[in-house]
Amino acid sequence: MFLQTWFLPFALLVTATMVAIPLSGYMAWIMDGKYRPVPVFGWFEKRLNFGDQNWKQYTVSLLVFNTLLFIYGFIILSLQPRMPLNPRHLGMLAPTTIFHSVISFMTNTDLQHYSGDVNFSNFSQIFFCITMLFLSAAVGLSALTAIIRALRSDKSVGNYFLDMWRVLVYMFVPTAFLFGLLFLQQGSPMTYKSDYQVATLEPAAMGTTPDGQPKLQTIVVGPVAAFESMKMLGTNGGGFYGMNSAHPFENPTAFSNFFNTLAMMIFPFSLVLMYGRMLRKKRHAWVIFSVMMVLMIGTIVWAVHFDTQKPNPGLTAHLARTYQVLDASAPGGKRTVSVPAVAGLPVDQHWGNLEGKELRFGTPAGATFAAVTVDVTCGAVNAEHDSLNPIAALSPMVGMWLNCIYGGKGVGMINLLLFLIIGIFIAGQMVGRTPEYLGKKIDARVVKLAIIALLVHPLMILMPTGLFAGTSWGLKAETNPGAHGFSQMLYQFSSASANNGSAFDGLAVDYGFNNNSSAPPTARQWDIAAGLVMLFSRYLPIVAPIAMAAFLGMKKSSPFSAGTLRDDTMTFGFLLFGTIVIIGALLFLPAAALGPVAEHFGPIPFGG
Amino acid sequence: MTRYISKSVFLLFVSVILVCGIYPGALWLMGRIFFPSQAVGSLVRGPDGKVVGSKLIAQPFTKDEYFWPRPSAASYDASASASSTLAASNYALRNRVATMLGPIVKYASGPKTGQLVAPDIEAWFQKDSYQDQPHIVAQWADAHNELAQAWVTADPTHAAYVQDWAKAYPDLVKQWIQQNPGTPNPQPTDLAVLFFENFSKEFPGKFLSAVTTTGPGGRSQTKIAPVSQGTDIQSTFFDMWRNDHPDVALQDVPGDMVTTSASGLGPDITVENAEYQLDRVATKWASDLKRDPATVRAEIQQILNANAHAPLDGLAGGKLINVLEVNLALREKYGAPPS
Repeated sequence: MFLQTWFLPFALLVTATMVAIPLSGYMAWIMDGKYRPVPVFGWFEKRLNFGDQNWKQYTVSLLVFNTLLFIYGFIILSLQPRMPLNPRHLGMLAPTTIFHSVISFMTNTDLQHYSGDVNFSNFSQIFFCITMLFLSAAVGLSALTAIIRALRSDKSVGNYFLDMWRVLVYMFVPTAFLFGLLFLQQGSPMTYKSDYQVATLEPAAMGTTPDGQPKLQTIVVGPVAAFESMKMLGTNGGGFYGMNSAHPFENPTAFSNFFNTLAMMIFPFSLVLMYGRMLRKKRHAWVIFSVMMVLMIGTIVWAVHFDTQKPNPGLTAHLARTYQVLDASAPGGKRTVSVPAVAGLPVDQHWGNLEGKELRFGTPAGATFAAVTVDVTCGAVNAEHDSLNPIAALSPMVGMWLNCIYGGKGVGMINLLLFLIIGIFIAGQMVGRTPEYLGKKIDARVVKLAIIALLVHPLMILMPTGLFAGTSWGLKAETNPGAHGFSQMLYQFSSASANNGSAFDGLAVDYGFNNNSSAPPTARQWDIAAGLVMLFSRYLPIVAPIAMAAFLGMKKSSPFSAGTLRDDTMTFGFLLFGTIVIIGALLFLPAAALGPVAEHFGPIPFGG
Repeated sequence: MTRYISKSVFLLFVSVILVCGIYPGALWLMGRIFFPSQAVGSLVRGPDGKVVGSKLIAQPFTKDEYFWPRPSAASYDASASASSTLAASNYALRNRVATMLGPIVKYASGPKTGQLVAPDIEAWFQKDSYQDQPHIVAQWADAHNELAQAWVTADPTHAAYVQDWAKAYPDLVKQWIQQNPGTPNPQPTDLAVLFFENFSKEFPGKFLSAVTTTGPGGRSQTKIAPVSQGTDIQSTFFDMWRNDHPDVALQDVPGDMVTTSASGLGPDITVENAEYQLDRVATKWASDLKRDPATVRAEIQQILNANAHAPLDGLAGGKLINVLEVNLALREKYGAPPS
């Protein structure tokens, strides 16, 4: 039992680290342009590369390209009914849902207010989703590369279009092809067909159609293997099917689940080490890597312990309890509410909470995946996060709130850089020395930029959550009572702002096709709000750090002396860890107390 | 700026050709050549050679001769995967599980060890007293308004029954409208709680269920009528019975049997779940085929053993059974179950 619980997470962490060491070397070699392209690729590189850019030019190029992506995505999705590969004659999505989906995929978030199997034709899956899966991931990685070049005071931060090409062609396409083959072998379909209609073995069990015939089972298929590998490798996380990596076609076996989880870990792990290699500060990178590893182990252990090793509290016995509830109308301002005892249901839960879990991945797979997917900002799910044990669900939320435990393509490392600058700044204040990073003085302008980039995230989570929780926009969308309803909203905006993409799926935000007459009443508001949150939380934390790195890089390096804060020691690791945990806790503890923590302690079951 | 736009267009154009054309095309070709069965969805064929589904996708079984998959929040619709999204703190989760348990739970100790609890639930229900208060159905509707409303919307005949009742008791409805001025024209759902409160007083120890009677001329008729026993009572009121008998030892049911998978299409059940169902399956086949139950049971146990597999060869979890594959094996061995 001990082995069956902990082998999987352990094996994943070790394998991902082992892969990251050589892979990061390869990535640094590519991004530093030390390779000689084969002639065909060389021709493309010459067409794309028009010379070195400074940080402003690089940033503008990045923004122009993303604007083009938005236009492209919007056109493709709007044209779905008129395009080929659509034998099911799926119509057009609601315009707000298209707005939301395009931003979502363009920003590497992949929060889905639709279900791929219900709403998307294979044309949209390929030409909208797969394009975005590759390109949005490449954008983040290119941005990090530019920051590294700025930090090491290169005379140029590189050429944006050349960087995109390198990431796409030399890293993503080959790895995606390899993982795609693996998923294909395990059972992910790879076909341009759209669906089968089959009479099941016991036909009547499917129900009957209005004319008395047994219903057929519709099995949706498509180019799943090609989709799946890049979805995970690019830490995108938007599923081909509504239920994402829990769907048997996206993730057919325990073996495919292992590689599904591994795929989303390898690039974020490698990027930290690539940072060290490109800056020639390998020890420093390993310190950062270790801090992230500690945090990741923490989130995994928390989730597995409270979800895999504990029963679902909804089915167990609870003692009678009384609660003091604040109530202005009651004498003394407090009202006493008593909850009767609840008897346990006769359910064997020694495998932990199985509601919303797939059995074939193995016992700890759901909880492990839940923690990893938020740490690396992937957002794919292989279990239903809404049905996680209440306190276990804190782990994915914390992952999104900190947003720098390896983090997404490039962006996680960028976020960590912000915590690092703030940490060094605070430490410098405490000992009364001018804070320095990489020998460059950290001045007011740098700290301001870091704080702006850092504060976007909590503001973009807490403000809209407050707005929706306080109005009918949120109350009409929540589908679970009490504290969990609040958690659903909090999770949605955390996921949007962290550019994560996982969700408490119960939230009624899927408008569906444009002609849907029974759409959730506030789906449009959710589409627009979450879309804007993703937009701000993606581009501000990319642009501000590029500027910050550029300002740092322009400064003269001061020589290393006995008084310099060393960035490759345990002490530095603790400083970084403390900064992340303390700032994270200060920002998000109150929200956590209202959501998962309250649900954990509150009466279970809650309400009728 | 023009240069940025032209380069962006060129990059996007090249990318689309590469990742939407060449890349999936190459994988598709590899699938055709090396993994032809997986590439089209791991379809399996029945004894008559027709495709009956995919071995990776759960499909429903309700006959006693077959093993049953986990319950599905997607109704086994492989074009709309879905999970229940029920939080642990949501009573709907506990209620769904309790409803499934009622008819199947057995005593674990005492003189009735191994026997069904269901008859005792009915006897307790007929006494019509919960936590020393009268009228179980009224208490149920009061505590769980949403369940009472869900009963009304579950079937058109239910709503019609409530509507007829409302016509027969205009005074009560008028009183309700006075208390709820916001709803001048109450629908059957709005009246659900009021309806059950009065029903409980009028028919103590009874609940409503579909009853099939043979009318004049031998035509069978199904209509809603008060009953004092049946699966509806066993399932709906098991949770309340349990709260009245919290210390009675009951046999645990395997967890995966009463919980939904994340996709609603998970094809596997645990071996414990399969063995829990083994008695039912073996007894049914034995009576269909008029063979010795013990032999049939041993044969089916062998099929289970042959089909058991564990995630990562047991490193990540316990043994599982693919429901469709086992049922196909049963179908091949024993033929089609009588309809």
